[in-house]
Amino acid sequence: MTELPISPYPALLVGLPILMATLSLFFRTRGEALVGLIGALLTTGLAIMAFVEVVQRGAVIHILGGWEPPLGILLRMDPLAAVFIGMTALVGVFISLYAWRYFRALETTTGGLPLFWPLWLFLWAGLNGLFLSNDLFNLFVTIEVIGICAVALAVLSGKSTALSAGLRYLLAAITGSMAYLFGVALIYGSTGTLDLGLLGQVLEPGTTTTFALLVITLGLMIKMAGFPFHFWLPPAHSSALAPVSALLSALVVKGAFYILLRLWMEVFGVSLTYAAGQFIGIAGAIAVIWGSWQAFMQTSLKLIVAHSSVAQLGYLLMVFPLLILAPGVTADSADWLSSAWTAGIYQVISHAFAKASFFLSAGIIIMALGHDRIESLRDLVGHMRITAMAIGIAGVSLIGLPPSGGFMAKWMLLKGIFLSGQWWWAPVVLAGSLLTAGYVFMLLRLAFAPAREKEPFRPVPKSLEVFALLLALGSFLIVFPADSLIQFLESSEVFGTGVESILKGGVHGNN
Amino acid sequence: MSILIDILLAILGVYLAMQSLLASRLSQSVFLFFAFGLALALAWVRLGAVDVAITEAAIAAGFLGVLFLDALRDFSPRDTEEQQNLTTVQNSLSRKESKSLLLPRLALVLGLGLFLLIALEAVWKIPEGGGLTAAAETLLPESGVEHPVTAVLLNFRAYDTWLEIGVILLGLLAVFAVGGIQIYRKPIAAADDPLMRQVILFFTPVLFLFGAFLLYIGKSGPGGAFQAGVLWGAIGILLHFGGIPVYSWVPRWLGHLLLTLGLVFFLLLGFLFMAAGDNLFEYPPAYAGLLILIVETLAAISIAAALTAIFANLNQMKKEQPNDTAQK
Repeated sequence: MTELPISPYPALLVGLPILMATLSLFFRTRGEALVGLIGALLTTGLAIMAFVEVVQRGAVIHILGGWEPPLGILLRMDPLAAVFIGMTALVGVFISLYAWRYFRALETTTGGLPLFWPLWLFLWAGLNGLFLSNDLFNLFVTIEVIGICAVALAVLSGKSTALSAGLRYLLAAITGSMAYLFGVALIYGSTGTLDLGLLGQVLEPGTTTTFALLVITLGLMIKMAGFPFHFWLPPAHSSALAPVSALLSALVVKGAFYILLRLWMEVFGVSLTYAAGQFIGIAGAIAVIWGSWQAFMQTSLKLIVAHSSVAQLGYLLMVFPLLILAPGVTADSADWLSSAWTAGIYQVISHAFAKASFFLSAGIIIMALGHDRIESLRDLVGHMRITAMAIGIAGVSLIGLPPSGGFMAKWMLLKGIFLSGQWWWAPVVLAGSLLTAGYVFMLLRLAFAPAREKEPFRPVPKSLEVFALLLALGSFLIVFPADSLIQFLESSEVFGTGVESILKGGVHGNN
Repeated sequence: MSILIDILLAILGVYLAMQSLLASRLSQSVFLFFAFGLALALAWVRLGAVDVAITEAAIAAGFLGVLFLDALRDFSPRDTEEQQNLTTVQNSLSRKESKSLLLPRLALVLGLGLFLLIALEAVWKIPEGGGLTAAAETLLPESGVEHPVTAVLLNFRAYDTWLEIGVILLGLLAVFAVGGIQIYRKPIAAADDPLMRQVILFFTPVLFLFGAFLLYIGKSGPGGAFQAGVLWGAIGILLHFGGIPVYSWVPRWLGHLLLTLGLVFFLLLGFLFMAAGDNLFEYPPAYAGLLILIVETLAAISIAAALTAIFANLNQMKKEQPNDTAQK
């Protein structure tokens, strides 16, 4: 592992945003936003350079303190991490630009919100750190950083609904962290190492490992709002300010999913069974149906979008049953693994773009109307053509119509489902898309309907609408480099492999 | 004999935790929580983790205790009346609901019990002698310090510690996010209490010296930046209590400098050695001891500033709220 080339990028990707965050604290409102925006642009540039580095040289590492694992901590940027970091940068930079204009427009009425920038840059550093981390305890520290930033950002609006939702979010996040930490303690106690690579080799099956897997999975499920732990997400995400809602839904919840994916695939193979995969898949399936149905029943735009997140995260959980092979099936003969992986990655990226765009559009509408009750969306097309278009395009990607990134994800998911013979997931995918089409078309129908009475649409900066539209377009544009992206990901060690659950356990048992 | 003490501590810990949860008054809960923190600290001592014990006592029983007491002051005038109302409501409710809730409660208790049993088995089955203690001891001479815990925190796993210092700063930013930035407002009127003045006069130098001692001793024994930071933070809180809000004296930029000093210096030092071709947080062994002491001192200052600011901010936030409600 240590033969991998050493690169400074992993360290810079965590250090730079935090440096800029602390620097921004020294300025007042306007200056703070400027330093924050510069920090966001620099971090984006750095992420792109790091991405190019991984494309050219393959996975790179950074040995923190010069101490190699198991004693020290290793940062590892492989293609999978690079893709997540790149996604965070692309979505993050558009949200940053939007936020810059949004808070300037808001400033005239409420005096601006100076804390957004340091918190968002800290959050960005936490996310980068999470994607790069190769150490169970360090992952805990990064989810702590992310959790505190996310809760603080969620309550920034200062409204009492946001405060009570934020408190719930905090309690859920802490419970999740503690469950995860308990699992980490058990693993460290029984193996004496925290490094993911070493753990994958030395972890033995047994009660301790299985229980650690259980509590870690529970903790991460709470963090990513997987069913039945989704209760905190809709109020917290819908009551936050628009750029914050976009960050929380598009990026923050993906962090917990990334850890879950990495740990299940790289570390806990010995304790995973076919049934465990089915179980988490069922949780995902219920989330898809339940979340979409709830979204369909809401009457305010942000609550629709927030419930839709619960459903879209459900699709991510439905990837797991396909990645865990039934007894007797080997990874070589399982030709659906690559489809399942592609489905998961594309679902993460396309949802990040589409959902960010959706929440930013909702923010524009609230800015124009003062509220987000959907009956007031009548004649949106007549007043705000660009925002209506952004909602339409992002909605199409959420439904999964071609040629969007969402289509790619759902198509690959169906392909994996049929190739693996686990046909029982297929109706869920179709029903989820149908329900999503239900609430998206309901919004679009209203947007095109003639206005009953004159709704007072206040003017909104055009650039805000453009940023939301660009993000929506992003959820389509990501389809075009699909071939090279999948090829790039296939050079990642884990990509395209599944867990040969029972077999591996059996081998250990016989020894 | 020692096993008896351990068993007693274990029972005491669980008992205090339960009593703290079940206490009918908030004030009782808070005082039982203090006691629980101290019992935990003793347990850490018995487990041989003196560093954790000091931190546990300082943070859980000390800092959190002060925050709880401060929060309690807001509740206390209404406490008695509302508590009584609440109890009567609860009684009438519990009579009605006791039957319908019996089954779900039983299921919950059984489920939690089962979970606890499996957890116990999982802990029981952990093999002996794991961990990285041996590895840390072997490389100790290269770390620049003589105490393995300090070596792990400030050298072997400095990255985690650096992020944790960031977490403390984030805690303050989160307090700002909830209540708006208050600490740089006009100072509150100084309370002219001769007893308080004597307490401050006596404790400030003692706390400062003890903090400095813990900071320095961290090189070779239990102690270090976090413990020292909490003690120094206690000075700020004490002064604030005595009507001397140190925060409104320093200009804004200086306050922020103190808050971010530990985090930023730690990082810039890392970047400096990175520019010379090393990894982040990699120190040349010859200077490691000195650099670690500087990093720890600055980190302790930042931690102290953050804890003081968290307390001062929460304290002032509450002072302003009663006026708001009065206006309504």
